[in-house]
Amino acid sequence: MKKIITFLLTMSMVFSLAACGQGSGDNVEGKQGGEEKNEHTLTVWAWDKAFNIYAMEEAEKIYQKEDPDFKLNIVEVSWDDMQTQLGTILSSGNYSELPDILLMQDFAYQKYVMTYPDFFTDLTESGIPFSEFPEGKLGSSMVDGKNYGVPFDNGTEIAAYRTDILKEAGYTLDDLTDIDWNEFLKIGKDVLDKTGYSLLSVPATSSDFILQIVQSAKGGIWNEDGSPNFVENELLKKSMSIYKELLDTGVMTRGNSWDEYIATFTSGKTAGVINGCWILASVETAKEQAGNWGVTNMPSLPDVQEATHYSSQGGASWGVTTNCKNQELAVDFLKKTFAGSIELYDTILPSSGALATWSPAGESKVYTEPQDFYGGEAIFELITDFATKTPTFETGVYYTEANDALAVAATNICSGGDVDQELKTAQDTVSFNMGN
Amino acid sequence: MTRRSSNILTYIFLTIVSFVSIFPLIWMLIATTNRSVDIVAGKLTIGTKFLENYRNLMVSQDLWNFFGNSVKYSILTTVCSLFICSLAGYSFEIFHDKAKDILFKLILMTMMLPFVALMVPLFQMFSKLNLLNSTLGFLLPSLSTPFLIMMFRQCAKSFPVEIIEAARIDGLNEFQIFFKMFVPTMKSTYAAATTITFMNAWNNYLWPKVIMTKSSSQTMPMMLSSLTSGYVTDYGMLMLAVLLTTIPTAIVFFVLQKNFAEGITGAVK
Repeated sequence: MKKIITFLLTMSMVFSLAACGQGSGDNVEGKQGGEEKNEHTLTVWAWDKAFNIYAMEEAEKIYQKEDPDFKLNIVEVSWDDMQTQLGTILSSGNYSELPDILLMQDFAYQKYVMTYPDFFTDLTESGIPFSEFPEGKLGSSMVDGKNYGVPFDNGTEIAAYRTDILKEAGYTLDDLTDIDWNEFLKIGKDVLDKTGYSLLSVPATSSDFILQIVQSAKGGIWNEDGSPNFVENELLKKSMSIYKELLDTGVMTRGNSWDEYIATFTSGKTAGVINGCWILASVETAKEQAGNWGVTNMPSLPDVQEATHYSSQGGASWGVTTNCKNQELAVDFLKKTFAGSIELYDTILPSSGALATWSPAGESKVYTEPQDFYGGEAIFELITDFATKTPTFETGVYYTEANDALAVAATNICSGGDVDQELKTAQDTVSFNMGN
Repeated sequence: MTRRSSNILTYIFLTIVSFVSIFPLIWMLIATTNRSVDIVAGKLTIGTKFLENYRNLMVSQDLWNFFGNSVKYSILTTVCSLFICSLAGYSFEIFHDKAKDILFKLILMTMMLPFVALMVPLFQMFSKLNLLNSTLGFLLPSLSTPFLIMMFRQCAKSFPVEIIEAARIDGLNEFQIFFKMFVPTMKSTYAAATTITFMNAWNNYLWPKVIMTKSSSQTMPMMLSSLTSGYVTDYGMLMLAVLLTTIPTAIVFFVLQKNFAEGITGAVK
C-alpha cells in the first residue's frame, strides 16, 4: 500500500509540474531571448507610457538611424514596483536581473548610489557632455563629484496662475512675477476677497512645497556629516511660517490626497499652482480653461540675501547599471540621444510635453513657439531659462524620511503646534530612522 | 407595533450599510464611462466615454496578454494548491501520529512569517534555479499554504471514521477513499478553498512584481500599478482596468457562493 501511495504522490507531483510545463517553456524561451539579446539590444526599465517610455522609444528611433540593428527592450515598471524590485535584487546581491538602463527619480538617486555603490556605473569620464546640463538638475544624480545619471525630464519650479481670475481681481501675471512671499500674501488676500478663489493649493501628504521654498533660497536640510538640520535651520523655519500663514489666511488650501490636490485647480477651485513644471500636464487636462493660464517664476523668501525665484521638484534621470554587458553602447546611446539630439527633444516636447534639461535643446525653434493654452506665452523657453538659474539641492540618502517627518511637522504647526518643538520632533524622527 | 417599528429600523440600517458597501462598486462602474477630469471633479452620472476609455486602455497596455497571464497563473495555482493542500490536510488528520502532529504545528508556525521576510531569500533561490519570469516561479511559493492545509485538516476531523473503515472493508485503497469518498463529501470546503485561493492568486502582487521582470509575464494587478505611475493618471481608463480585474474573482465568488458559505462554516452533509 505504501508503495502505491508513494507512486501516486510522485505522479501527482509530476502532474502538477507538467501543468506548469508551459510556463517553464516560457522561461526557456525567455532565457534564449536573453541570450539572443545581441550586442545591439539594451533592456530599459521606466514608468509612464505617455512620457518617459515614449521618450525612450523616440530615442531608439533616432539611434537606429546610426545603428539599424539597435533595439531597446523597454519594460514598464511603476516607480513603486521598481523600488521593491531593486530592493530585492540589490539585497540579494544577484545583479544579473538588473536592466541595462533604468529611470530613477531624482530625489532617490543619491540614496541608491550611496547605499549600493556598485549599482550604477560612474559616467563622469564617459564622454557624455555633463557641462551642458544645468547644475541644479545634475546635482541630484551626483555623489562626491561623480556623475551617475543622464538628466532627463525637467522638474523646474513654475508658478502657473489663472489669468482670468487675476484680471477679475485687477492683477496681471506681471504683478506676480519676481515678487517675494510677503507680496504674494498681500495679492493672495486681495484675490480671495474680490473673487473668492484661493491663489494656491498643496497636497497635505508631503512637505515638498516647503522644501521647494528652502531650495529656492539656496538652503538645505542636512548637515555636512549627513545628519538632519531642522532645528537650527532659519530658512526652514521661515518657509514653515510662510506655509502656515498662507493656510491661515486662506490664500492657500490643502488637498487631503494627491487627486484632491489636482482637482483643486482642474475643477477651477483655486487660481494657481506652484510645483515642478510637469504639473502642467495635469493643468492642461482641464481643456475648458485653455487660454486662461499663465506661467511665471515663484515668489522668493523675503529678507534672505541668497533668495532666488527658482527651485525644482521631481524629475528623473537615466542611469546605466553595472549589470550592463555593453556599457559602451549604453553610454553612446545616451550621449547621442538624451545628451546630444535636438531632434529628440523637438519630437517629444510638442507631443508629450517632456521638457529638456539638456541646454542646447532649449535653443531650438520648438521651444520658442507660443502656447495657446497659456495665452500665447512661450512657456518652454521660459522654463528652460528658469532651469539654468535653479540652485542645487542635496536630497541625501534619507530624503523620503525627512519629507515625511516634515509633512507631519507642517500639519501639526498648522493646527497650532510650536514651530521649534515640532521641528525638533521631526529631526528626532529622522535621526531615529537613520539609526542614530 | 414595536416589532414593526424595530423592523423598519433594521431595514433603514441595512439599507444604509448596503449602500455604503455597494457605493464604491457603483462609483467604479460610473467612472468607466466618464472622462478623467469629470471623475476627479466628482461627477456621479453616467457618461458617454466608455468606448474611448476602452480604446485608450487597449492602445496603452497589452491588456489581453496580462489578463491571460493572470488567468493562467490563478487557475494553475488554485488547481495545484487545492490538490496538494487537501491531500496534506486529509493525511495529517486521518494518519496522524505524534511526529506528524509536531510537523503540522511547525507548518502552522510558518503562517506567522510575513512574506516580505521571505522575499529576498526566495528571490535568490528562484533566480539561481532560473525560475524568474516563469509560471512555475509564480506557483511554487503558493502551492502549499498552511492556511489551506489547516482548513482541510479541520474539515477532515468532521469526516466520519466509520465511512473510511467501511470503505477499507469494501476493498478501496487509501487513494480511492480520498478521491471517491472524501472529495465528493467535502465539496463545499473545496468550493470555499477555491474561492480563497483563486482570489489570493489573482490579487497576488508582491511576489510577481519581484520575479516578473519581463513585460510579457506581467499580471493584471501589476498593470493597474503601472497605470497610476504617470505624471497624469487617466482615471476613466484606470477604473475600466479595475473593473476588468474585478470581474473574474466576482464570477468565481458568485458561482461558488452557496458552497462558500457552507465551507467556511464547516457544514458537512
